[in-house]
Amino acid sequence: MAAVATCGSVAASTGSAVATASKSNVTSFQRRGPRASVTNDSGPRLVSIAGTRPSVRNGQLLVSTGLPALDQLLGGGLAVGTVLLIEEDKYNIYSPLLFKYFLAEGIVNGHTLLVASAKEDPANILQELPAPLLDDKCKKEFDEDVYNHKTPESNIKMKIAWRYQLLPKMEQIGPVSSSRFGHYYDASKRMPQELIEASNWHGFFLPEKISSTLKVEPCSLTPGYTKLLQFIQNIIYEEGFDGSNPQKKQRNILRIGIQNLGSPLWGDDICCAENGGNSHSLTKFLYVLRGLLRTSLSACIITMPTHLIQNKAIIARVTTLSDVVVGLESFIGSERETNPLYKDYHGLIHIRQIPRLNNLICDESDVKDLAFKLKRKLFTIERLHLPPDLSDTVSRSSKMDLAESAKRLGPGCGMMAGGKKHLDF
Amino acid sequence: MTPSEGARAGTGRELEMLDSLLALGGLVLLRDSVEWEGRSLLKALVKKSALCGEQVHILGCEVSEEEFREGFDSDINNRLVYHDFFRDPLNWSKTEEAFPGGPLGALRAMCKRTDPVPVTIALDSLSWLLLRLPCTTLCQVLHAVSHQDSCPGDSSSVGKVSVLGLLHEELHGPGPVGALSSLAQTEVTLGGTMGQASAHILCRRPRQRPTDQTQWFSILPDFSLDLQEGPSVESQPYSDPHIPPVDPTTHLTFNLHLSKKEREARDSLILPFQFSSEKQQALLRPRPGQATSHIFYEPDAYDDLDQEDPDDDLDI
Repeated sequence: MAAVATCGSVAASTGSAVATASKSNVTSFQRRGPRASVTNDSGPRLVSIAGTRPSVRNGQLLVSTGLPALDQLLGGGLAVGTVLLIEEDKYNIYSPLLFKYFLAEGIVNGHTLLVASAKEDPANILQELPAPLLDDKCKKEFDEDVYNHKTPESNIKMKIAWRYQLLPKMEQIGPVSSSRFGHYYDASKRMPQELIEASNWHGFFLPEKISSTLKVEPCSLTPGYTKLLQFIQNIIYEEGFDGSNPQKKQRNILRIGIQNLGSPLWGDDICCAENGGNSHSLTKFLYVLRGLLRTSLSACIITMPTHLIQNKAIIARVTTLSDVVVGLESFIGSERETNPLYKDYHGLIHIRQIPRLNNLICDESDVKDLAFKLKRKLFTIERLHLPPDLSDTVSRSSKMDLAESAKRLGPGCGMMAGGKKHLDF
Repeated sequence: MTPSEGARAGTGRELEMLDSLLALGGLVLLRDSVEWEGRSLLKALVKKSALCGEQVHILGCEVSEEEFREGFDSDINNRLVYHDFFRDPLNWSKTEEAFPGGPLGALRAMCKRTDPVPVTIALDSLSWLLLRLPCTTLCQVLHAVSHQDSCPGDSSSVGKVSVLGLLHEELHGPGPVGALSSLAQTEVTLGGTMGQASAHILCRRPRQRPTDQTQWFSILPDFSLDLQEGPSVESQPYSDPHIPPVDPTTHLTFNLHLSKKEREARDSLILPFQFSSEKQQALLRPRPGQATSHIFYEPDAYDDLDQEDPDDDLDI
């Protein structure tokens, strides 16, 4: 794993990452920028890579996932060399959005992209990336979105007597102009064609790469997975992301995006049968992929339709083999769509796992009840708030319903609705 | 008037349901069960698309050709291209078949067409194929066939493809059915109550919220559709009477609203931590009124005038 040492010692290559990691944790003073005076080795000098920053906790190199709200929930960003697994929602509407944000962030930062899909041509996926919002237009777009459907009286901004007005808002993540780490995207517009053409990307479309009459031996990877792993390994080797070919140009990050992994279109039957012949294929793929990622400067996003997987044990194994696991649960078609508790949101987002990289503890946030909303231009992740229980003529039964549905929420949401009994004052 | 124009001039409501099912293209999944069979709806859709001038291919696997063609008039029967896999599914008679690979070969051959005419492929039935072929292969082939026209570059060259698949829900477990419904653009689940058939139609347009509706219908002997109103729905026992929304500001002991004068006074108030230029100047200038306030104090007997000398024994 590539750990950035910013306290003065220069990391010569990824091989000496362990040694430099121990040296770098001595002091918390962080030096900005590369040291120009240290030239004691002829290896590549440590230059900061565009679009990355070291984590403030342990110096791990982080890249942005494309959604600054999600970055904050993951402890600053996605660590280089790790896998972000998105468990798709039932109708696959919101998970492609997260996938595209990740790729769009790569294009804006100038990273190399590798897009793999069995469903859509990668060139078509890249055409549909959201357009980045530039700084000066950012605040205007935000205000427009926030005040869009509020009544005119509440348009008056609150005059706050104390100095809290200067602090950034905690709940709704607004654009922070000081950081250039995460960017904001306008989901209603497409990325300009020049940016896509200027970027370096590789596509893997399964129906083109594989002939349909291949025989599969038992207990091995399905041919689709084998081809994909070979493709990824080739790209990593040829373009020097693992340090084997000394990069003459500046070092860069490879962003890998794999869509709908585990669906029948990849030739994997875990969604069709409970005990299929190739039930270990997906887990082997993730294991080999993790090995490839850990030895190269790359980050990977995978979307997986876990709601279709029949054998629940496979889901548990897949979660263990990935590093960051985020689950999306949309309210469409479920009875929650009409529940007044959830009327402002489109779905729940569950952070199921955060990795412990070179650490004993992980940086999890204390907010466990998160909901997402797809506004016209933005995808926001917010803390789930219970609506105020205003009416005093509400019947007992509907109060019980609210309590039942709120029982699944964590303690952060308020203990009032958590119990079955209500104390009437 | 040609038959296709006559079909289009049919009842408006009839056109809506069948048109909406065929208009989206892609895979249309007809899920039926033993009580509510779906082959008649499949044949109604086949008749509709044949009358609209599309090229119709039928992969007949479950029933014989005569039984499938029964009920269609001769001009529709002439337009159907029927591939019979019922009579000799394993090709034991070794006759010259147009598609040597079985139904899968037939589907794969249809992937490679290049003419711009819209095509409807009816699979009778998809369950038969799912029981004999591996599910993943079938999903891959169905996806390839139904998505030929989705490339934005050369959309003009290949016409729209609709694949109608008849799936008997009770024959399969949740796995294959779930996999196929995630691939389908439209999913029609047949059901009904009290002798009235209904179709629950779920449309999944790409990148949009899925829309669903329930349509009550019956199929006439000539395989045209008759849309109906559903049976009367009895009132739900737990429907709430209309409760007027409670306004929380009505019975308060304090005042939440501001009059105009009060609002003006509030707006003109300068907050303590807001620095305006006048306030800054006022703070920087030496205060002229310093001599106006005095504090008069009479020292008490017990007062300690010199706090650093507690015993008062220093002689200063």
